[in-house]
Amino acid sequence: MLYLSLVFVFILSYSFYFYGKKRALSLKFKKNENLSSLPDYYGYYVVLLVFFPAIIIWFFLLIFKSNFQEMFVMSPVLFPDVATWSSGKFGLIMNKISNLSIIVNLSEIDLTVGDKSILKMASESEIIAAKNLANFDKIYGWSNLTLFIILPVLLGFMATKSISGKLNAQPIVEKIISYVIKGSSYIAIFITFGIFFSLVFEAINFFRYVNFMDFFFNTAWNPNRAFVINASEGFDQEALKEAFGFVPLLTGTLLIASVAMLVAVPLGLLTAIYLAEYASSKVRDIAKPIIEILAGIPTVVYGFFAALSLAPFIKDVGEGVGLPVSAESALAAGLAMGVMIIPFVSSLSDDVIKAVPQSLREGSYAIGATKSETIKKVILPAALAGIMGSFLLAISRAIGETMIVVMAASLRANLTFNPLEPATTITTQIVTSLIGDVEFDNPKTLVAFALGLTLFVMTLILNIAAITIVKKYREKYE
Amino acid sequence: MVDQNSNYALQTSEVYVHYGKKMAINNVALNFPKNEVTSLIGPSGCGKSTFLRCLNRMNDVIDICNVKGKFLLNGNVDIYSPDIQVETLREKVGMVFQKPNPFPKTIYENVAYGPKIHGIASSQNELDEIVKDSLHRAGLYEEVKDRMDDIATGLSGGQQQRLCIARAIAIRPEIILMDEPCSALDPIATAKIEDLINELKENYTIIIVTHSMSQASRVSSKTAFFHLGNLVEYGETGKIFTKPDKEQTNDYITGRFG
Repeated sequence: MLYLSLVFVFILSYSFYFYGKKRALSLKFKKNENLSSLPDYYGYYVVLLVFFPAIIIWFFLLIFKSNFQEMFVMSPVLFPDVATWSSGKFGLIMNKISNLSIIVNLSEIDLTVGDKSILKMASESEIIAAKNLANFDKIYGWSNLTLFIILPVLLGFMATKSISGKLNAQPIVEKIISYVIKGSSYIAIFITFGIFFSLVFEAINFFRYVNFMDFFFNTAWNPNRAFVINASEGFDQEALKEAFGFVPLLTGTLLIASVAMLVAVPLGLLTAIYLAEYASSKVRDIAKPIIEILAGIPTVVYGFFAALSLAPFIKDVGEGVGLPVSAESALAAGLAMGVMIIPFVSSLSDDVIKAVPQSLREGSYAIGATKSETIKKVILPAALAGIMGSFLLAISRAIGETMIVVMAASLRANLTFNPLEPATTITTQIVTSLIGDVEFDNPKTLVAFALGLTLFVMTLILNIAAITIVKKYREKYE
Repeated sequence: MVDQNSNYALQTSEVYVHYGKKMAINNVALNFPKNEVTSLIGPSGCGKSTFLRCLNRMNDVIDICNVKGKFLLNGNVDIYSPDIQVETLREKVGMVFQKPNPFPKTIYENVAYGPKIHGIASSQNELDEIVKDSLHRAGLYEEVKDRMDDIATGLSGGQQQRLCIARAIAIRPEIILMDEPCSALDPIATAKIEDLINELKENYTIIIVTHSMSQASRVSSKTAFFHLGNLVEYGETGKIFTKPDKEQTNDYITGRFG
């Protein structure tokens, strides 16, 4: 019912646009009044004056619905000692009643004499409360629906009535719209901060158990050692000290991301140069979307590709030339990841190369430069900012990638720079630390947030670097 | 007919240009005397820029553009011959564009670009000398000598255009094509470029497309009037602007159409 009334709010407020505009036009043509704004704005004016009050009241009623329910259902008449309940018990009973109310609602049977097997756990007063709740929901829903038919209509007529030629609707409408626009952008900012702080608070919990320095500078990662709990002293401090060494995760992440970039940068950039400068427009129109499909393939599929095709292939080749290759090598994961991020480099670089003004190309040709000289010495330098931006975007993507590494690399932390050995990444360890059956306040779980925060800061620094570089070159080249 | 007279830097005849199926130049023949300035004038879309771009084969980069005709450089080099490398041709026939288009590099690098590519300088000193000399001849040296390592896009529009001229003459071309070089500039910058053209004609053959008839009369000794892809009239600038043979030319220069 509540959602149906939302539909009414939308439809009614929209239809008042026509009414408001009609009213303004009739003032103009029938009563010869001069309108202070364009007729459309009177329509928008009425719409906004209907929509915003109605939607605010609607949200209010939605959010406080449960409070009203509790007030109505948990009456001291049914539960004399309700005032003494703890909030936990209160919530539990309320939950039980609302579950019961669904059954009550569904079946027309008399619960007092009928099949008591479902209800044998419930007391008499709880069943009455459940019936009350079902009734309350019905009444609440219907009255809500009625309200949101009457309210918009009422508001609409009042707003329309207030229209006169002297009313300057345009600045009012624009002001309201500007608040809406501002609000939308603040929402994104607040959410970013929200995500950041949710990470920070849990990370702080983690650092209660584990020393900051131990986390960032220890070279061994054995989170399972944190299980060891001494009955008398809680966590084994020695084990905690040695369990969470971040360094191998960092090197693993950087190793795999570097392999990925070694694949994606040359392939992506050369693709971009081909597409932008050499390919005919027909080839470009077909090839570009196909390459962009690479970015749209689910990463889990790349994981399969890396684990089932690439890794055995690399192992075979490696053993063929006498190199010891692990079955889960950083190389396989990095290669698959590199293929995945090719379109990030190629597509963005292609766009920025295309954006280099034709006049620069002609200027270079006119001096007698060949096409390749022109590309190397004029076009690529001019497009450098955008190209660097695409690289950094690709790195961020590579560092944040999880699924491929979970499937193709290893779960075992290994402090190495040899791509033929297994390695693990920050994201992989976040996943494994959260999917255990360890309780939530265990450092083995909490470490996920510390890792997440570190990752967040790393990509933030990369993004800031990207913006700075792009800005610096843009100043130079424009 | 192409005359084997070597007093001409460039001779053209039977020139036809098509953009796809649309005809842009219809049977034009024009000769450009050495060390003189020739203006190409005419209303917008008359084909004068298209014709100019044929002279250093800049139309090659436009897929749908089809050029036919005879083009002889110095009386003996067919510039559309398969034996001719277009880069070598452009080394001899430089070009300055309508909108200044300095590369996003330093002032020095802009001018040194051509000499480096063509291997004109044998040493760094010689390259420095070429850059300095070119900027000097473009009348820009005094203004930029203390900031050769600044990015060229920071210069004013007029300075940028003179830099483009310096860039063009740094490879010591024989002919300089100018495609409305002053249309993006203010009157003062325009006057400077016009003075420069007058100086440059001592050493170069200049072919300039212009919308300004006063500019054509100020800088050029020969003028060609184009209309709808046809060469309507060609002759001494003084004559074209005072006693044109054709009615159409007269209408255009007196501002009755175009």
